[in-house]
Amino acid sequence: MADRRRINGPAGATIPPVFDDASTRGPKSIKSRSRPANATRKMYLKTGVTPSASGSAYLEIETSATPGVSGLKLSCSVHGPRSLPRSAPFSPHIVLSTHVKYAPFATKQRRGYLRDPSERDLGIHLEAALRGAIIADRWPKSGVDIIISIVEGDQDRETSQLQGDEVWDMMNALGGCITVAAAALADAGIDCVDTVAGGVAALVQDAGEDSIPTVVVDPIPSEHEKILAACCIAYLPTRDEVTNLWFRGDLPASDIDLYTNLVEKGIQASKNANRVLVGCLAETIQ
Amino acid sequence: MASSQHVLLSPAELAYLHASLSLTPPIRPDGRSPTQFRPLVAETGILPGTNGSARICFADGTEAIVGVKAEVERTAQRPGEDTIFLEEGGVEGGDDADGDGEAREGVDKRKGDAAWVEMTVEIPGLRDDDSGTAFLSAMLSEALLSDGEFAKRLWINRRFHWKLYLDIILISPPLSYPLPLLSLTSHLALLSTRLPRLKSEGDEDPFFDDDWAAAPYLYPRTTPTTTSSTSPTTTTAATRPPITLLVMAVGNNIIFDPSKEELTVADVALAVSVTSTASSTSKPHTDNADLKEPDTEAGRNLRLLSIRTIDPPSRLTPPGVANAANAAYGANNGAATGATQKMLEAQTAETEAVEGVWKAPRGGAKRRVLGALVQKVLERGGVVDEVLDALEAVDLG
Repeated sequence: MADRRRINGPAGATIPPVFDDASTRGPKSIKSRSRPANATRKMYLKTGVTPSASGSAYLEIETSATPGVSGLKLSCSVHGPRSLPRSAPFSPHIVLSTHVKYAPFATKQRRGYLRDPSERDLGIHLEAALRGAIIADRWPKSGVDIIISIVEGDQDRETSQLQGDEVWDMMNALGGCITVAAAALADAGIDCVDTVAGGVAALVQDAGEDSIPTVVVDPIPSEHEKILAACCIAYLPTRDEVTNLWFRGDLPASDIDLYTNLVEKGIQASKNANRVLVGCLAETIQ
Repeated sequence: MASSQHVLLSPAELAYLHASLSLTPPIRPDGRSPTQFRPLVAETGILPGTNGSARICFADGTEAIVGVKAEVERTAQRPGEDTIFLEEGGVEGGDDADGDGEAREGVDKRKGDAAWVEMTVEIPGLRDDDSGTAFLSAMLSEALLSDGEFAKRLWINRRFHWKLYLDIILISPPLSYPLPLLSLTSHLALLSTRLPRLKSEGDEDPFFDDDWAAAPYLYPRTTPTTTSSTSPTTTTAATRPPITLLVMAVGNNIIFDPSKEELTVADVALAVSVTSTASSTSKPHTDNADLKEPDTEAGRNLRLLSIRTIDPPSRLTPPGVANAANAAYGANNGAATGATQKMLEAQTAETEAVEGVWKAPRGGAKRRVLGALVQKVLERGGVVDEVLDALEAVDLG
């Protein structure tokens, strides 16, 4: 039912006028990847940023589309472990609840205040990744809330239009979410079997349709012509175990090596993130 | 969350179930073989008001209905290289960049957008905004959209497209994790989906044939021309909608289509989406793979679309207590031992595993196990082929 009582703006999005200009008329140049294929971007991680939470962490990843400008910014706070309300049923394990929320201004397209399905989806992925890491039976009858707000998404701001690469951005966001949540959990002093960290790898095609695809870690969608497949992995390095695996794309089933290679590179990216995480936690102890 | 519903099994029952599933060959509670699916009843075209519909009923009583409805929608225009100006109208050769019109026909200029497909999943007993429901619908739509080819089917012309609404309703309460059921039902519904035949040309306002019999299928059919086919009247779609299979590992065993009780003791559970495409439309990078194995006697070209880890509910199960630690069996952890001693005992009880005593799994899955699961799904002539063959037998009306 349309709202008849107010004078509303147009329902659809409005488009700012774009004037023909010599610079915009030129062929759309795709910035090529400046890092080697197996190098992740620089990462800044700090724990204990929110004093009122029992554990918190902040993560920032640079975007190399324009060097020096920061890309993904995540803030995570952990509340708990605290006792469950009396009305809740008995649980022999800690009850984990994860919330991932994009700030309304985090992406090019504005996000509402209510969590949309993709954010709920990220929350479930995060929950699966963390549940494998937490030693849940040490806290019966208690719950912990893990709240992540994505202050700034991982998007190239120079391109004027959406390129349909939001799904790949979601994977990068999830990788960051897992790492920052592990740091915040450690800051809160919740026992884990290991520090879990997230890593992303993608199969990209850079030189036309017929070129041979290559596997890169930590992809930025705007740097590549086409992303064929990507996977995000949450990995426990000392146990050599994967707690969450999320793959999406389009791969021939006859070529399982391509998939295995992608997973291996994802694990490598996650090991890189883990090194930052361990360094950050060691710094906190001193 | 749907996968982690509480199953009322005691630790002793869980330990028994886990032990019997880890045997070689595994013994499943319902006597199926590890790769066997539950028997099901399927039919399509049950809802006359939809573009395509299907219903599947599992033998255990879970039942799902899927209806597909399509609407014509105006494509949002963005200023860019393919902006259509009014004076250009429906003229095809609007931009002179791509040579003659004949070549343009061959070039796939259709574009798709993920927003053209809207999927809703409704499960009784769960709230609409429940994250489990959101996860299921994200998983199913991801499988549908991840190759980027499906949305292109909805392209009408540069100004209009079909908006496809896929509504999945689970009629019965979820007796098991409903993912395979919902996926198979939406597969059949999409196979039976027909869109009215387009009569207008170019970028005109779309105008459709009102003869429903002439409406083409969303997934076009081909009559198998091979000599092996006994009934030449049957038609099959070369490219099929994706199917999502639930696979789990217990010990060294890989088990397909687990029931609720089996999923409760899973070490790791994966949802794997695959599709089969016509060999001719294979992408350039698959050519190498095709050259390597030129057999393709099945003519089915499987493609891996998505994999997700399902958080196994086994992590939420209550642990058992070994006799050695149980006071009822004479374990000496009474008042005589101090509080620190008790703490230590609790620590050891936490870490060491006793044979036959259930303990919720901790940590993740080994790389090797995950690899084996995916390989088992994708193997040629495996379960996926069986399922696709079985679904081909369903009459699409």
